[in-house]
Amino acid sequence: MTRHTTRAAYGTGAVLLTSALALTGCGSGFSGDEGGSSSDGLTSSDKPLTVLIGSSGDAETAAVQSALDAWSKESGTEVSLQVASDLSQELSQGFAAGEPADLFYLSTDQIAGFASNGSLKAYGDELTNKDDFYPSLVENFTIDDTFYCAPKDFSTLALVINSTMWADAGLTDADLPKTWDDLAEVAKKLTTPEHVGLAFGAEYQRVGTFMAQAGGGLVKDGAAIADDDANVTALEYVKSHLVDGTFAFAKDVGAGWGGEALGKQSAAMVIEGNWITGAMQNDFSDVEYTVAELPEGPGGKGTLQFTNCWGMAADSPNQQAALDLVEYLTSADSQLAFSKAFGPMPSIKSAADEWTADNEALEPFLAGADYAQFPPNQNGASDVIADFNAQLESLKTADPAQILSSVQSNLEAVVK
Amino acid sequence: MSTQVSPRRVGAAGLRRGEAAAGWLFTAPVIVILGVFLLVPVLMALWVSVSDWAGRGSPLSGSVSFVGADNYSAVLADGGLATKDFGTALRNNAWYVLLVVPLQTALALFLAVLVNRAMLRGRGFFRTAYYFPSVTSSVAITVLWMFLFSASGAVNDVLSWFGLHGPNWFNDPRGILHLILGSESGPSALTQGGMLGISWWDWLSGPSVAMSAYILMAVFTTSGTFMLIFLAGLQNLGADVDEAAMVDGANGWQRFWRITLPQLRPTLFTVLTLGLIGCWQVFDQIYTGTQGAPSKTTLTPAFLSYQTAFKNQEWGQGAAIAFILFVIIVVFTLIQRWVLRDRPVSRRRIRAYQVTAKDGAA
Amino acid sequence: MRLSPKQLTWQIVLYAVLIALALVYVYPFLIQVTTSFKTDQDAASSGISLIPDVWTFAAYERLFAHSDFPSWFVNSAIVTIVVTAGRVFFNSLAGYALARLRFRGRGVVFAALVAVMSVPTVVLLIPKFLVINQLGMFNSYAGMILPLLVDAAGVFIMKNFFESIPVSVEEQARIDGAGTFRLFWSVVLPMATPALVTIVILSFQGSWNELSHFIVSTNDPALTTLTKGVASLASGQLSQGTQYPLKLAAALIMTIPVAVMFFVFQRRIMNSTEGAVKE
Repeated sequence: MTRHTTRAAYGTGAVLLTSALALTGCGSGFSGDEGGSSSDGLTSSDKPLTVLIGSSGDAETAAVQSALDAWSKESGTEVSLQVASDLSQELSQGFAAGEPADLFYLSTDQIAGFASNGSLKAYGDELTNKDDFYPSLVENFTIDDTFYCAPKDFSTLALVINSTMWADAGLTDADLPKTWDDLAEVAKKLTTPEHVGLAFGAEYQRVGTFMAQAGGGLVKDGAAIADDDANVTALEYVKSHLVDGTFAFAKDVGAGWGGEALGKQSAAMVIEGNWITGAMQNDFSDVEYTVAELPEGPGGKGTLQFTNCWGMAADSPNQQAALDLVEYLTSADSQLAFSKAFGPMPSIKSAADEWTADNEALEPFLAGADYAQFPPNQNGASDVIADFNAQLESLKTADPAQILSSVQSNLEAVVK
Repeated sequence: MSTQVSPRRVGAAGLRRGEAAAGWLFTAPVIVILGVFLLVPVLMALWVSVSDWAGRGSPLSGSVSFVGADNYSAVLADGGLATKDFGTALRNNAWYVLLVVPLQTALALFLAVLVNRAMLRGRGFFRTAYYFPSVTSSVAITVLWMFLFSASGAVNDVLSWFGLHGPNWFNDPRGILHLILGSESGPSALTQGGMLGISWWDWLSGPSVAMSAYILMAVFTTSGTFMLIFLAGLQNLGADVDEAAMVDGANGWQRFWRITLPQLRPTLFTVLTLGLIGCWQVFDQIYTGTQGAPSKTTLTPAFLSYQTAFKNQEWGQGAAIAFILFVIIVVFTLIQRWVLRDRPVSRRRIRAYQVTAKDGAA
Repeated sequence: MRLSPKQLTWQIVLYAVLIALALVYVYPFLIQVTTSFKTDQDAASSGISLIPDVWTFAAYERLFAHSDFPSWFVNSAIVTIVVTAGRVFFNSLAGYALARLRFRGRGVVFAALVAVMSVPTVVLLIPKFLVINQLGMFNSYAGMILPLLVDAAGVFIMKNFFESIPVSVEEQARIDGAGTFRLFWSVVLPMATPALVTIVILSFQGSWNELSHFIVSTNDPALTTLTKGVASLASGQLSQGTQYPLKLAAALIMTIPVAVMFFVFQRRIMNSTEGAVKE
């Protein structure tokens, strides 16, 4: 290079190097190094709060919005609701950018990851209604003996049946399936060219009910048991009926989830959770349905339960107000209102009786809570489950033992 | 104006005084913006890919430490879920590239040759029709495609006219090659070994039915752009060589393969390069459409990089995947340039021409 | 021009093939338009028919009245207009400097530009997010617009064009006493209209259809652009079920501005792409 070009190269390089160093300096976008969640006090300010939720539909969004509006009027602090199109991505991005929402839905499989990098504020001990929550729910949100966030509700999976199709097939209450054989028989009777007998999502979060009924599951007593024979039995059962056409995955009948399959009448029965009530009420109000407990398998009764909590961001400038809001949202009145709108069961013991009285038709959901399993919540478990789900999508043509052994090896890496 | 003796020398001192300053000033915005938003990010990502930054605070702060090639080995060597995902993404994208690049190049060339021959009146209309899909956003086309290829969509309707029962395209994870070979689980020789956590049998699965729908979409949207490039190339060719060949008795087919196509080599090179670079980066369509489903058969390295970083908070691994992809793209471009290089004429050819010349001279 | 029977047959075959292919290319868009006027059930059951059982505006109503679509449109419009204007200005400035002005380091800058063009965009996804964060521009219009304000390919187009303008015009203006910027602004730029139009078209198309940059630079629903919004309609949790007419209507409206631009300027667009191969 000529002398001129060399100097020019140095010049350009210097400009860029300076700007790079300047960027290091003005790290104004990132919050400082506040490692971990400090239990010393909550922040407080006049800033409005943002709440980020992953909604199951219009019913849930409207219910949360009205609860927030009511609190806002009472407390004088503004709250804005954001509905996420991809909750986990928006949370990750928000934390990395230092601009997370103040409160957000946090599921059991995400809490470990966010807690470990200090994104969450552990406020569980500050809650005035701390002792009212069901212990099993609190356990799901306790990491290293720190109770991070308040469970907002919980749901279990049950069998939701289209009453009209049931009656049309000549079935009565006595025919409600109690065992796997019953279920297969009933599904066969209900399968017609227009609709399939039983539909559910192609994911562990639904197929796992069969695994629980066979006496299996993913994690037991802190050890991974994915390749247990019970699970193989369960998947073989599901596969055989996917193949003979009496069971189907929701997407194979043109629906995004079980509720849509039931509502669009492409399935006579679906395996879904409490949240289906809101969707049926809002979007498919002309379909009549009944809820029944899932049948027993070789290992007895089994189902899955899910819970989310109200996560609070460590970077939130107004944690005091957020805490107040959480206490409001987990109070008996709020939870019962949510339940009426989109169905989940309250997370506090004091609301149990009233809920049972108000929702007799949904009693099987509550009954399931006695024997329900939680999905594993170790750090990294959600990726393993995502991979399991990816393999389940090809269950019709795949070998269950092979799927489960790959899940086992992935799970062992995570459950240490 | 003949009195102006070498105006440049005068200009160097007087007229062009502010030129250097102006030069730097004019290019300053470009340098700053491209430097800050293109060059610096690459350096920053390189750092993140060899560090353990977990997603909070600045990656340049003191608490982030150097971990060497840990992220790269997690993705390439460790054999865990990260490796398997990367292997799956690589396999999916490799089949995509293998099918899309030749198909879109061939179709674009075919369309260009056809349109070139059409009488002037129709040419504009056809050019417009074939190019229009390239103008639309990939998001809009993906939405349209998901409708056309749904279980009860237009494509399955057309297939049913021929008596075929179309699959539930975007939800079908079965590999095309596996379907053609008719077997669900391969010979044990192929299912035992593997690379990057994927067995050889799975590497040879071909694109899945869902991925095939994306392949068709890519050909649909990009054939128009490349058709225009080929058209320009075709119109630049002199007609005399072609006419000489016609006089010598070559028919249309021979003329195309021996005369037209070799002359189009630079254009072909451009189209192939652009095609390769574009195909290895497919992201928008996957994000809008299936997000990797069904069964991770539409996962691509670009989308995996995004997912690993932005959803799973594994920023180091996500950055590592992005750089590995960069290397792959560069390697493929170099290979392709080598394959299409101008080779010296072989001795045999030269001898053939010498014989002809002798005959002609006689 | 009289053609022999054999040539006539080939001509007919040629046109038949051309028309059949054109139909394949155009029909999907016709389906898109008509399906947006169908009901959900109608769309799900009859994929290929162009005639709705019942013509309904329900999808459009839902789009405009019950969703954030209007704000998406506005955001896209703001970003596109500013980016297009910026690119026209900055690309032509830099292109002129690289073509005509002599300054030390011109070669280095040019080489750097070529190098930058070769970095694939996918590599920049995560890093751009990191840099936008560091500069505190996350979730702001600045973060959405600034990185797109200049593009290397546009600089090339302008540089190539300026090099084709005869030097004598500029020499004349200099002798008449024009300073460099005035020379650029009043003399050279007006002559560059064809290239500028090309930049306008390419910038408009590029920024209107951009997706990945908006994914990484914003999180705030109020800043969502059309591409991000329609993508979330298609695959995010906002996609409650398979509401095809709604999604197709959104995609259709999103395509209209680029389509209009295309039809108005089509000759120029097609010629500019053809020109790209002359290297």
